[in-house]
Amino acid sequence: MSGREIVRVEGVVKDVRPGFGLRRKRVLHGIDFEVREGEIFGFVGPNGAGKTTTLKILMGLSRATAGRARVLGCDVRETAFRRHVGFLPENPYFYDYLTARETLQFYAKLCGMGRARRAERIEALLAQVGLSQAADARLRTFSKGMQQRVGIAQALVHDPDVVFLDEPMSGLDPIGRKEVRDLILRLREQGKTVFMNTHILHDVELVCDRVAIIVAGRIRHLGALQDFAGAGERQTDVLVAGLDADAGVLLEERFAAQLRGVGDRIEVRVPEKHTNDVLASLLEAGAQVVSLSPHRRSLEDLFLSAVEESQR
Amino acid sequence: MNPSRSLSCILAIAANTVRESVRSKLLYGLLFFAVLMIGAGAVIATLSYVEGDRILQDVAMAAVRFFGVAIAIFVGIHLIHREVDRRTVYTILSKPLSRGEFLLGKFFGLVLTIWLQMAIMGAVFVAISLAVGAPLGPAHLAFFALTAVELALVVAIATFFSAFTTPVLAAFFTFGVWVLGHGSRDLRDIGAGADSRWFQWVTWLIHRVLPDLETFNLSSAAAHLLPLTASDWLLPILYGAGYLTLVLFAAVAVFERRDLR
Repeated sequence: MSGREIVRVEGVVKDVRPGFGLRRKRVLHGIDFEVREGEIFGFVGPNGAGKTTTLKILMGLSRATAGRARVLGCDVRETAFRRHVGFLPENPYFYDYLTARETLQFYAKLCGMGRARRAERIEALLAQVGLSQAADARLRTFSKGMQQRVGIAQALVHDPDVVFLDEPMSGLDPIGRKEVRDLILRLREQGKTVFMNTHILHDVELVCDRVAIIVAGRIRHLGALQDFAGAGERQTDVLVAGLDADAGVLLEERFAAQLRGVGDRIEVRVPEKHTNDVLASLLEAGAQVVSLSPHRRSLEDLFLSAVEESQR
Repeated sequence: MNPSRSLSCILAIAANTVRESVRSKLLYGLLFFAVLMIGAGAVIATLSYVEGDRILQDVAMAAVRFFGVAIAIFVGIHLIHREVDRRTVYTILSKPLSRGEFLLGKFFGLVLTIWLQMAIMGAVFVAISLAVGAPLGPAHLAFFALTAVELALVVAIATFFSAFTTPVLAAFFTFGVWVLGHGSRDLRDIGAGADSRWFQWVTWLIHRVLPDLETFNLSSAAAHLLPLTASDWLLPILYGAGYLTLVLFAAVAVFERRDLR
């Protein structure tokens, strides 16, 4: 890891009371992580894992019960650092009687931007998020995807150094998602730091440099995306045709192979150390080997195993 | 944060609050009935052979105060709750402004909206008084000025409750404070004549702690065109400003500590 420390979370605990008179429930169990300058950090987890709670603590909207959270070296309860920070909440809601342009003007005023800079920046942003044509339409006429674009534009209106995005692809069609991914990558090219909450693993694999997987309020994995790919036992995928059921059972018993139907063929996943033995067994059983490839452990595998681990 | 930036944030929030508030159908409904009641004063006055002008103005001023408070409470209680409920507050508070600035912006925006409504009610009052030839004097101006201060205080109280509770509870508490605030002098006098020291102490405490809203009631002086001294209107304004400041401080302190989930 290189670069200046942008976000530091140390032992953050969050307890919430689900209702009046009810017992407190712990939703964050002392989480620790840091985000470095210029990286795209993916904060990944299933629904209810504590992603949004963590983000709210970082934005000073919610208070940690214990632990410490700092952004740009400042305590998150301060307001000054927010001059350099942009935030897109999950499913953002705006004043629907304002137009897209008026909305951005409102947020730009709150950021203390002068009139001339405001006008220039807003025009550029509207073009960047593809809302130039709808700039003077009231937000009540906007689709969810268009509202999401307004949300992204307001997060970037003051040209922040750090951007926090909570489910930025939510409500967007495939083209919109591609555009947002490109936008996030452009932000990194500009030297900005992006913190992204999401449960869409494909997006994470495409844009993130480092990832933290949070499940049930605990960080299960933290590291660079390429490190995840090499983590765990190496495996090989063998695609075969004409494999009979008895031979398949034998492979499962002898080599701990996992069999999966792929069309009229069978994919056999085996530990790398058994590859030669499995190939010999397959040929002996009269099966035809179609392809053989090393299995790259995906983020999804890791994510699912983290979720399973937490349920045990 | 420097004061001019802080002021510019408060003004931006206030301007947006005015824009949002004037779209409230409830506000227009209440304003319509207020104007109707002021007009009804002229009809009621014709039923009396004596002091028709006074009856007209009494009814009209009561309508201004009642509907003014209704607007202040019903719009004020949603002030913070709606922002949190709709989560518009998340994007606003992620910008470099404090929760106190946000809350003050909302407060000033709503006060401005209510004063605009009062100006409309005042214009109708003056127009009807002139139409029927009822006398108008400085006491009427003082009545409207002090009612405006009272309504600002009611908005501050509604803002305080709105900062940490639901609109229903905020309405209940604010209305309770308004009723007790108007009756606290009578309550204190009743308590003073009671045998129980405990009752004496409680009624005295209610009078001291809750705002003495009767201070702002000049309707009787206005209806009878009584001469007023500067202290009759200046002291209530100072009292109202002081009390309002304390309530806003408390509202900001409560809102600063609130967990926005």
